[in-house]
Amino acid sequence: MSLWDRLRFNSQVLARQRWRTLLLLLTISLGVASVVVLTSVGEGARRYVDGEFSSLGNQILLVLPGKTETTGGAPPLYGTSPRDLTLEDANALAQIGNIRRIAPIIAGTARVSHGSFAREVVTLGTTPDFFPVRNLSIGQGKPLPASAIDTASPTVVLGAKLKQELFGNRNPLNQWLRIGERRFRVTGVLQERGESLGLDMRDMAIIPIRSAEQLFNSPGLFRILLELKQIDQLEVAKQQILDKIRLRHDGEDDVTLISQDSMLSTFDNVLTTLTASVGAIAAISLLVAGILIMNISLISVSQRQREIGLLKALGASAPLVRSLFLTEALMLTGSGALIGTAFGELAVTIALQLLPNFPFYAPLWAELAATSMAVGCGLLFSWWPASRAAGLDPILAMRGEAGGGHQ
Amino acid sequence: MNRQPPSAMIALDQLSKQYRIGNTPLNALAGIDLTINAGEYIAITGPSGSGKSTLLNMIGLLDRPDSGSYCLHGEATESLNEERRAQLRRDQIGFIFQAFHLIPRLSALENISLPLMLAGLPRAEQQQRGMQALQQVGLSPQAQQRPNQLSGGQQQRVAIARAIVMQPPLLLADEPTGNLDQRSGGEIIELLEGLNSQGMTLLVVTHDNAIARRSKRQLKLVDGAIVIDQRS
Amino acid sequence: MSWGDSIHWIWRALLAQRLRSLLTLLGMAIGITAVSLMSALGEGVRHYVLQEFTQFGSHLLAVTPGKTETFGLGGILNTVRPLSLQDAQSLSRLNGVEKVIPVVFGTAPIKYAGLSRHSNVAGVGPDADSVWQLALAQGRFLPQDDLDNARPFAVLGSTLKQELFGSANALGESVHIGSARFRVIGVLASKGQFLGTDLDDTAYIPVSRGLKLFNRESLMEIDVVYRPNISAELISKRVKQQLEARHGLEDFTLVTQDEVLKSLDQILRMLKYAGGSLGLISLVVGGVGILTIMLITTSERAHEIGLLRALGSTAPQIRNLFLGEAVVLALAGCALGLAITASLLLLSRWALPGLPLTLPPQMVLLALAVSALIGVIAGVKPASDAAAMNPIEALRQSE
Repeated sequence: MSLWDRLRFNSQVLARQRWRTLLLLLTISLGVASVVVLTSVGEGARRYVDGEFSSLGNQILLVLPGKTETTGGAPPLYGTSPRDLTLEDANALAQIGNIRRIAPIIAGTARVSHGSFAREVVTLGTTPDFFPVRNLSIGQGKPLPASAIDTASPTVVLGAKLKQELFGNRNPLNQWLRIGERRFRVTGVLQERGESLGLDMRDMAIIPIRSAEQLFNSPGLFRILLELKQIDQLEVAKQQILDKIRLRHDGEDDVTLISQDSMLSTFDNVLTTLTASVGAIAAISLLVAGILIMNISLISVSQRQREIGLLKALGASAPLVRSLFLTEALMLTGSGALIGTAFGELAVTIALQLLPNFPFYAPLWAELAATSMAVGCGLLFSWWPASRAAGLDPILAMRGEAGGGHQ
Repeated sequence: MNRQPPSAMIALDQLSKQYRIGNTPLNALAGIDLTINAGEYIAITGPSGSGKSTLLNMIGLLDRPDSGSYCLHGEATESLNEERRAQLRRDQIGFIFQAFHLIPRLSALENISLPLMLAGLPRAEQQQRGMQALQQVGLSPQAQQRPNQLSGGQQQRVAIARAIVMQPPLLLADEPTGNLDQRSGGEIIELLEGLNSQGMTLLVVTHDNAIARRSKRQLKLVDGAIVIDQRS
Repeated sequence: MSWGDSIHWIWRALLAQRLRSLLTLLGMAIGITAVSLMSALGEGVRHYVLQEFTQFGSHLLAVTPGKTETFGLGGILNTVRPLSLQDAQSLSRLNGVEKVIPVVFGTAPIKYAGLSRHSNVAGVGPDADSVWQLALAQGRFLPQDDLDNARPFAVLGSTLKQELFGSANALGESVHIGSARFRVIGVLASKGQFLGTDLDDTAYIPVSRGLKLFNRESLMEIDVVYRPNISAELISKRVKQQLEARHGLEDFTLVTQDEVLKSLDQILRMLKYAGGSLGLISLVVGGVGILTIMLITTSERAHEIGLLRALGSTAPQIRNLFLGEAVVLALAGCALGLAITASLLLLSRWALPGLPLTLPPQMVLLALAVSALIGVIAGVKPASDAAAMNPIEALRQSE
């Protein structure tokens, strides 16, 4: 029997049992669509985080003061240690050939005020390199002056939200404001950009690093951001950094290095695992659909036993009868999976329209896995009914006495 | 035991089959010896339970004997696997049943094309040979109708067209007129006889003596044994 | 038709198609298992996490320097307005405050007899052991010295002690933390991790020494334990007033344990419901299965329906019989699913003793109610189809 004939024969069967076919298609496509939609949320989250990190550039290395030798666990993000990481350390690291840019950071909270408006925000002391390293662009005015690399100056760059809070729609450039008890002149405003890695860049004040040292009365750096020239030299660069620090810190390499890759892969692993397990739970519904297919196939075999007997009398072999029933399941699950994938994609498209900032994306692997699980369940669960059909005695079956599916 | 002449189409030698009904064994076939040559027209009669349908099923390779041998075209059939037997049914044998056994969801033409489809013939040829068979049974205008749109006689004609569409040398009809009125029954028998005169070997199981008398050879079974084998 | 007769009839009908009934309720059972297992898991995690947090007692208030909405960063960053030891002392004199624990946290190399290990160092007040539920394995915790001028004593976490001393005695020995000498007066029992920090790989020293070690002016946090008979709002108000009076403005952030627990609980509950609704997909598929099978069953049993009608049963009777069949299938599937869940949960107790999972009774009741509802929804169409059958037609459909 040719493939084409088989498909036609089966579609007539399916079309005749319209209700049954529709409900089976519904269950399978429901299962597949759920897998597609749920994994698209997980994958979207992963892509969102990916995007956040890659806005940093993938050649970024973070240096935190302090370290622990605990295996596993989080890095010591609080970054407090007996020996401060200083601007001098940062300048020494800048000598390393593979480092393109270096942005030491002193961070603190301080009250920023202008006239009667005041706001307690995070204030960063850093160098002009900070802007290209973090991919920050200036919306208005200029970034920190070049001299800010090593000298204090009363200049400040404001985040967009902070500017709005303090100045409203007025021009802030060259206006003076207070940070703590010191006066600073606004030289620039950052372009509007969302939260990035937990820090709201829109609600920040950025001042020269030496000014921050004076403001907070502490030379301790919060961290150093490094941008490497060649990312493939990452391990070498890490070693060079540790060597430099050891030289300057009496033989102790008391810093923690975090590469963007390692942060990213941690998030990636967590989110991919989460996505996969959510998808797997949704895929249990395909198992339930498979059991339903088995049930209905058994009923079908018993109801169609006269036809099966006839086919055998007309010369259909047992393998052919079995393959007819298997093809039927294959067609059902295959088209159910297609419909489900289409509906899932449709839902993803709609979700993208509603929440344009969240990159929903149904990963191909999930669609393929759901489809093959659906088809696999179809084949697995119809195998037994199909074999029962193949094993029917033609004479008894034609008389409707073979018993067939259900006893 | 006499050797059968090689020209024999069907050669049965001591063919036996026993069924159990509850605890009582029933001899459906009790050592049948029978030779049928190509082109014969045979009617099989007998009271119900005499084994005539079993004999037809046996010859049609739908059933397997407990003992004895059955050669079809000189090929011993007992040792054949199901695959080969299915193939022989498809290519060599045409069945006609009392209950027609048409698939209700398929049109007349599609019902007729079933064996061609099972044989894996291309669609165009299925159509063409199916229409040819329909023409032979005089139902060309009804090609696209479903079984429930046809009369009993027309349904049986469709079934006959299905049986001959593979042009098998052997036609087996089990009470082909059993579900039909007198007139349609007569027409069906005439159709079958016409096919026989074109060279197909025809075996008809019937309880209608008027039909049996029209055949060229009559077999009567009682309790699984041939008690009369007469040629007219 | 009496209730008993109806149930008997349904039971016989289901038994007559044993395999079919079994497969139908199996689908339902998997759905129920998915929902209840996910919910039990969600509830277990919620319980576990909340317990992790409430182990410090619920009458807790944390003060961090800097008025900023950036959650959790306040204490780590520099500030122009430090939170000082004197602030902590002033809070301890407030009415209603039981204990105050000033905290500074960092990392430092810890050395003993040529061995060195970079570990966490917590500068804390002497009450930290009782508030943080730190159990001592040996020795004692930091003594009630003057906050400003505490003696250089250290208490080691179990991992840290093991790394530096092995199985040797640590009590009375001197270790170097940073460049200062500390005398070990206690070793803690193992405690595990909290929010990613290994509490066992930590040295606990007096807070004033911690500030000196890290060269900081400001504490990172002040934990305030208040009396149970005082509301969180009231104590927040008092702390706020006190610190505002000292600093002149509100340059600190207050977080009560209640708030933390409440928002945490909210998140975890949402997670639980999300997990349960993931399982719901399977349950819906199981329900569609019942619908499909019931549709087939009614059309197959047209003859029986015709006969019943001919014998004088009313259309509502027929409808109820078939509706009953669907509900019984759903409930039986539910019972099987709950049984599977219960045995899986028993298994999990043995495999994951740290995360006790339970199937709360209200969950069982909810599952049964939902299943009955699914049975009714799935049964409505087939049952009304059956009830609407013309008796003569139905009888004629016999084969």
